[in-house]
Amino acid sequence: MNYLYTIIGLLFVVSLPAQVPVVQLQYTQDLGDIRFTTVFQDSHGWIWLGSQDGVYRYDGQEYMPVKSPEKIASSPVSALFELNGKLWVGYQNGAMAYLSHVSSDIPLPSGDFSEDLRKAPRLTLWEPEEGLPQKPIKGIVEDKQGALWIGTYGEGLYVWKGNRMYQFSQEDDGLASDDIYALTTDGFGRIWVATDGGISICSMPEQGKKIVQNLTTADGLPDEIITALTNDNQGNIWVGTNDKGVFRYNTEQGLLDVATLNWAYSPVTDIKVFGNNEVWIGTEKSGALCFDALTKEVTPMPTGHNFAATKIRAMCKDREGLLWLVAERGKLYTSKVRFTRVNTPFTNIQAICQDLNGRFWVGAQEGLFFQKAGVFVPVLSRKENIVSLWVSPLDGVIWAGSLGNGVFLVQPEGKVLRHLPERETRANGSVLSISGNKERVWLATLGGVTVLNAVSLLPEKGHAAQELGFNYVYKVLTDSRGRVWFGTDGKGLVVYENGAVHAYTEANGITLRTIYSISEDRLGNIWFSTDRDGLFRFNGKEFKRYTTASHLHSMAISSIAVDGNNQVIVGYEDGFDIVTQDREDHVNFYSLKNFVPQVEVNLNAMFTDASGNVWMGAAFGLVRAAAYQENIIDDPIPSITGVSVFQQPIDFLQKTNFAYDQNFFLFNFIGLWYSDPEAVRYRYRLEGFDPEWKISKDHLASYPKLPPGNYTFRVQTSEHGNFSNVPEATWSFRIQMPFWLHWWFFVLVAMLAGAIMLWFIRSRETRLNREAQLKREKVESQFETLKSQINPHFLFNSFNTLITIIEENPKMAVEYVEHLSDFYRSIMVYRERDFIQVSEEMELVRSFDFLLKKRFEDGFHLVDRVNGQTGKVMPLSLQMLVENAVKHNIISRTKPLTVEIYTENGHIVVRNNIQRKIKPEASTHFGLNSLINRYKLLGERPVIVVDNDAFFTVKIPILTIDG
Amino acid sequence: MALLSVMLLLFKGNQSSQALKFQCTDGKVMLKSIASLEVIQARSHKLRGVIDSENQSFAWTVEIRSFEGFNSPLQREHFNENYMESDKFTKASFTGKIIEKVDFSIPGAQSVRAKGKLTIHGIEQERIIKTQVENKGGKIMINCKFTVPVADHDIAIPKIVNQKIAEEIQVTIDADLTPQ
Repeated sequence: MNYLYTIIGLLFVVSLPAQVPVVQLQYTQDLGDIRFTTVFQDSHGWIWLGSQDGVYRYDGQEYMPVKSPEKIASSPVSALFELNGKLWVGYQNGAMAYLSHVSSDIPLPSGDFSEDLRKAPRLTLWEPEEGLPQKPIKGIVEDKQGALWIGTYGEGLYVWKGNRMYQFSQEDDGLASDDIYALTTDGFGRIWVATDGGISICSMPEQGKKIVQNLTTADGLPDEIITALTNDNQGNIWVGTNDKGVFRYNTEQGLLDVATLNWAYSPVTDIKVFGNNEVWIGTEKSGALCFDALTKEVTPMPTGHNFAATKIRAMCKDREGLLWLVAERGKLYTSKVRFTRVNTPFTNIQAICQDLNGRFWVGAQEGLFFQKAGVFVPVLSRKENIVSLWVSPLDGVIWAGSLGNGVFLVQPEGKVLRHLPERETRANGSVLSISGNKERVWLATLGGVTVLNAVSLLPEKGHAAQELGFNYVYKVLTDSRGRVWFGTDGKGLVVYENGAVHAYTEANGITLRTIYSISEDRLGNIWFSTDRDGLFRFNGKEFKRYTTASHLHSMAISSIAVDGNNQVIVGYEDGFDIVTQDREDHVNFYSLKNFVPQVEVNLNAMFTDASGNVWMGAAFGLVRAAAYQENIIDDPIPSITGVSVFQQPIDFLQKTNFAYDQNFFLFNFIGLWYSDPEAVRYRYRLEGFDPEWKISKDHLASYPKLPPGNYTFRVQTSEHGNFSNVPEATWSFRIQMPFWLHWWFFVLVAMLAGAIMLWFIRSRETRLNREAQLKREKVESQFETLKSQINPHFLFNSFNTLITIIEENPKMAVEYVEHLSDFYRSIMVYRERDFIQVSEEMELVRSFDFLLKKRFEDGFHLVDRVNGQTGKVMPLSLQMLVENAVKHNIISRTKPLTVEIYTENGHIVVRNNIQRKIKPEASTHFGLNSLINRYKLLGERPVIVVDNDAFFTVKIPILTIDG
Repeated sequence: MALLSVMLLLFKGNQSSQALKFQCTDGKVMLKSIASLEVIQARSHKLRGVIDSENQSFAWTVEIRSFEGFNSPLQREHFNENYMESDKFTKASFTGKIIEKVDFSIPGAQSVRAKGKLTIHGIEQERIIKTQVENKGGKIMINCKFTVPVADHDIAIPKIVNQKIAEEIQVTIDADLTPQ
């Protein structure tokens, strides 16, 4: 390419006529009465706008309001800044407020602006111990140590460092003036302060230590009143003045090295620098202006809007390379100044070049034109069809190749020096491309290649390249290593090197036939385009091919060029691709159809200028794609703005762990792209759930009913739908398994089941044991009872009694025997049963009582107070107790034994008065113990035995069981 | 010395101009140290000061030994001997100018910021102190609160008493000035 000689050309740059670049200016949505005052982009890419009533966050389509603190609601915002994720807001009345988390504290717009306004969150008023300024905050910046610097108009400069506020004033600290317009920082971490009395350069290397150095008119400043400051990407400071325009202060050398000449405009309000040389200037009354640091030309921004006589309040350069302008009446505009266009009065542009003075030359079907005093003027009297242009590094002469009429040599002021028709060059008269150096000039023609001596202009004979025998040659390029490359029709890519010619006719299995365009990049790679096989890169050894599969816009490539950022610009009939080598050859297509009537790049109608910008021919004009050689993003950068679980927003920066039933997720995301917000496309995928990417235009993705697991939500954005190697935002989270699916829960359940089973087995064993014992006790008891009842003693006593009454009262004797027999029969019947009714037992006791009465007469009393008691007892239990009483006590007429039977609290009680026999009856105590045991084994209430001096009492629980 | 000369200058000026200077000899200074283990308070009623309303300047000074209170006499002794070195640095002072343009003759309260050099323990620090100023019947009443980090003034506090003495001492000033 031709950049080599254009760089040399820079050295000869003198005053140049104005080219009239047109930028696209977009007016953003009106917010009624709201007037913006300042504009700022935060580190996440959001645009913030200061206004008369708080701040607004703008996403390219909608505004989200954030109100000022109530105390200062009426003061306009005058400055915005971000420090450590905190948005600082300075006010006209000197107050300051902040938003703690610039990224997460503000909700997304709901779509209903008045509703958003009603619910708008508020900024927090800043209340340092030292109090706040009372004068307008004009600038807020941060130094390298993280201290916050605040410039005021009227109270000088403040710095907030180590939780302490310090003031720099004119009187105490030698500040140039207390009236400050703007602040900026330099590469040394110093703060540059624009004041009414010059520039102050301030720093605070340690707590409380103030360093102030002033630059005034005495130091060579053209104007005392400094109204604007900004730093560029080389660490230099650009300074705007009240009367004398703009200059650049070179901080390395400590001098003023670039300045506007003869400033004819109003005071500067703001400055933004794009790349190294393009300076946009906002003014008080002259709108926005563009200053070219190379040519020193200042041109008003021609936009179609009436900008020329208005005030630019503030400007902002965003990360996409957009220029934001807050204009008169607080209106907001954006401009993609990177793409500018220069209108031409003719169309069908076929060749472009820039002479050593920086002026543009354009070859068209209608002839040759060059830029003079801002307009394109024709050079040739006849309408030659100019298809190629080249500037000789030898003398700066412009070589113009025509279709059919040879080459014209034109002097830079437009005078034709020489015409080399076909017969003189002995070459074909259709010269499609010209290249060369100070010795030789190579002409690519429809009749092969011709080599001319650069001085004598005579053809050189015997050059291998001339004898190739190929006809159509579309392009010739002398590269940085002295090789000469030819794009041929049908014979592939041909190179002339060290006196020999080599043809590349095959690359990666593709037969190379027709080569239209050739360009060399900044790393020495040769790029070439073919008629229908796409684009190739050749590094000397290997070829790499680019096609529509690698996201090229089309296979019909008309021209290629490499810009200053080593990006390859690929021209088509309807626009151009930019291939970014630094991003693994990511391709973005630009049609610019809203801006340029038609981007219509003709064969090899592309040119890279001295600043590395690429110019291309379009219908009725040139289009410039600037290469600013600084970080400008080419794609929207996505960010996840919110996560909701069951419609409830969560703090997703903190919380990433969720319960199994918190599984309905909604993700909000945005790819900020102010260049064309509506063109943004999203591609998202929930890793761990989605097998494929989903492409959408929406800002949200919802996932109902996610199963437990680990997930990563990934979202990518693209303006052009090419998602290869684009920026991405991710958020990882985890949905816990429900507790019943955890291993520990299984173990717990197994252990619990084991324990229950064990308990069951144990209790069953106990029950069985108890039943067995009960049975044994019962058998033993029956045996004892039987034994006692057929006890000879009892029978003997009964018979004695019987004998006495047989004679006295035979009738009674019969009754006695009946009772005795009844008694035995009852015993026989009841002993087999487990339980009997209380009434049955009492009947037995009464029979027994009858027998005893007859025997002891008045010595024994049974007091029966059991009346109609329901419930059950063990058989023969009461009888046994009565019998025990009789057995163990003295019974006589003088000492009668009284046995009482009654019920009490669900017990049946047997009580007798105690009058122990002197010689106790031999006893096993089996009866009572057996009774107690049997009740215990039943698990019933226990049998209560009370043995005091007066009474012996036994309380037997009444059972309510069936059977 | 600088302070003295400023004071001298101010007092000297008093005689020639009328009601432009305000003076105070019995202002209250309250110190409060809130540490995790102990709260210490001390006060002095001997704050002396002048405000020159013409050029917005002021000078204040208080004798360190005039502070009373504390939680024990021993504590006061430590304050004077160990920390403040009151024999060596007998006074604390604050001299400077008011940032805002204040008209002291207007009755009512206003908030101003005093910017000046705060000298304690012989160490000078530049400070801005937010102050409430009120003109009540010709008298000027001032009231302010600020903090003084002990480290700012090279006041060494042994590690052992760290939990008993705060790193930042809260200072409250309450003074009435009468026109001269």
